[in-house]
Amino acid sequence: MLNPTANKEVAIRLSGLTKTYGQGANAVHALRGVDMTIHRGEVVGLVGPSGSGKSTLLKCLGAVIEPSGGHIELGGERIFDEQAGGWQIDDLRALRRDRIGFIFQAPYLIPFLDVTDNVALLPMLAGTPNEEARQRARELIEALDVGHRVGVRVSMLSGGEQQRVAIARSLVNHPPVILADEPTAPLDSTRALAVMRILNDMAQRYGAAIIVVTHDEKIIPTFKRIYHIRDGRTEEEAGEGREFTS
Amino acid sequence: MINLAARDIGHHLVRFIFTGIGLGLLIGVTLTMAGVYRGMVADGRAVIAASGADIWVVQKDTLGPWAEPSSIRDDLYRSLAGLSGVAEAANVAYLTMQVQINGKDVRVMLAGIEPGALGEPAQVTAGRPLLRSHYEAVADEKSGLLVGDVVRIRRHEYSVVGLARRATSSSGDPMIYISLKDAQEVQFLKDNDSLIAERARTTANPAINRPGVPGLLDAVVATQTSSRNVNAVLLRLAPGYPAEEVKAEIGRWKHLTAWTRADMEDILVAKLIATSAKQIGMFLVILAIVSAAIVAFIIYTMTINKQREIAVLKLIGVRDRSIATMILQQALALGLIGYVVGQVSATLWAPFFPRHVLLEPGDALRGLVVTLVVCALASVLAIRAALRIDPADAIGG
Repeated sequence: MLNPTANKEVAIRLSGLTKTYGQGANAVHALRGVDMTIHRGEVVGLVGPSGSGKSTLLKCLGAVIEPSGGHIELGGERIFDEQAGGWQIDDLRALRRDRIGFIFQAPYLIPFLDVTDNVALLPMLAGTPNEEARQRARELIEALDVGHRVGVRVSMLSGGEQQRVAIARSLVNHPPVILADEPTAPLDSTRALAVMRILNDMAQRYGAAIIVVTHDEKIIPTFKRIYHIRDGRTEEEAGEGREFTS
Repeated sequence: MINLAARDIGHHLVRFIFTGIGLGLLIGVTLTMAGVYRGMVADGRAVIAASGADIWVVQKDTLGPWAEPSSIRDDLYRSLAGLSGVAEAANVAYLTMQVQINGKDVRVMLAGIEPGALGEPAQVTAGRPLLRSHYEAVADEKSGLLVGDVVRIRRHEYSVVGLARRATSSSGDPMIYISLKDAQEVQFLKDNDSLIAERARTTANPAINRPGVPGLLDAVVATQTSSRNVNAVLLRLAPGYPAEEVKAEIGRWKHLTAWTRADMEDILVAKLIATSAKQIGMFLVILAIVSAAIVAFIIYTMTINKQREIAVLKLIGVRDRSIATMILQQALALGLIGYVVGQVSATLWAPFFPRHVLLEPGDALRGLVVTLVVCALASVLAIRAALRIDPADAIGG
């Protein structure tokens, strides 16, 4: 399902996004006006030292905490606007379920579900009939080369296989944006680059914008665009966009 | 939609089943305690029903014949039989004592009855009822005696001629029926040494052994060697006569106390076992609290162990309601396993209890409802903990 309009359509846009914890003298300004624009099919890096605001930005993007200012547009729709009163979407859970994918540092799969149901759970939650959701999950699992592990409990998978299942889960509802939080941190170079290749392929194939939060030096050269975050502010820079070699 | 609770249970099936078995044994103890209480009530009712009486006439101002000692003359039954509405009257004597059965000391209730009259065992399952007026016995099936056995009671040996079903006292002791005459002798007469000593003491008493009054000493000694007392007179009423009226009549004219069947139930069930019932009630409350605490602890621990998974589930859009339902379903499933194990174990071990344990279907149903309610309440703590988990915990750190 190659998306020919990838790289053209804006998947997510942030303007002047701020986040302040606490008030008055105790206020901590985690984000001080973040501007970002990411297109569908793009994989961008979000790089910064510890305490720079990466996790806060990810939580704001993931609609799990409310920004203090600015606005967020997702697929052309303004979902957060501080001046209009905050979140413009009533059901943030449905927003996360249907329009945002998540990949974590560890796969965090649901241990009591098998490979297929871990992936199929999201469309099922969205009301897709079970068999249709499982069919969609199986297609993705096949595309990520773990098709031979369908029906296996996730605890029986290797770390790399689990991470691929987690990637499949993030893609299954075809969200315009996927947030990947240090997805290669526990992996060696070869596996880290393999994961990045998969993310790039999937971004191209499904037209998703993937934001990869990382300080993994191994994968930084693979990004074509990088946002550096420092003291709650972002700076955009062109990446090397190095070709993958294994 | 996937049933998350069922999948989680399936994932930890062995641990879940063992936890359920542990809980089940506790529920089994709870059900058994309820069964012990029911058994006490049933024993109390059984002894009343077995006598076949509508009214018990006892010594004035006593709760006899079972709850308090009562002694009345054995000729009173004639005048009672003549009262309006009384169809049948019979003397009875009861006493609790210890006898040797198969080399073991067994506590029994001895019932003295007139063969063929009121007070006979309701259901003779082997052998025959009492026919002769001396040295025959009908024993409860659970006494350990068999037809043809010989049991020694005080000075005499009695042949067991029949076995009766559910013939136990309100305390659960097996009953042995003998003839009234034998029971009077057992209950009121003294042993030979005492009789000789008593006779010597009477003979030495100048007020009784008076030369000018021949026959007085013999008459007094005769009263000491025979008994004319019984514990109660049982009355059966003619159809249509209200027991309360006959009871009032007896109280007014005979200077005796009469108890109707309802009174006797109140005495035996409500009063006699009241303390034991409270004791068991307290035990049941404590067991329910302990069971609830165990379920709460298990479900809470299971939930806390899934903290990260729950955060991920919430982050990817699973609703709080679904997570709460998952925890509630697990608690109920645990309760259900526990209940089944408890019911089976209580049924298996109940026959080995020395007293009658009555597991009533109504109690079983109530037990199921209470178990499920307790499990649902116990899951509240875990549900609260799960709902407090922040989906943001899945990101970073």
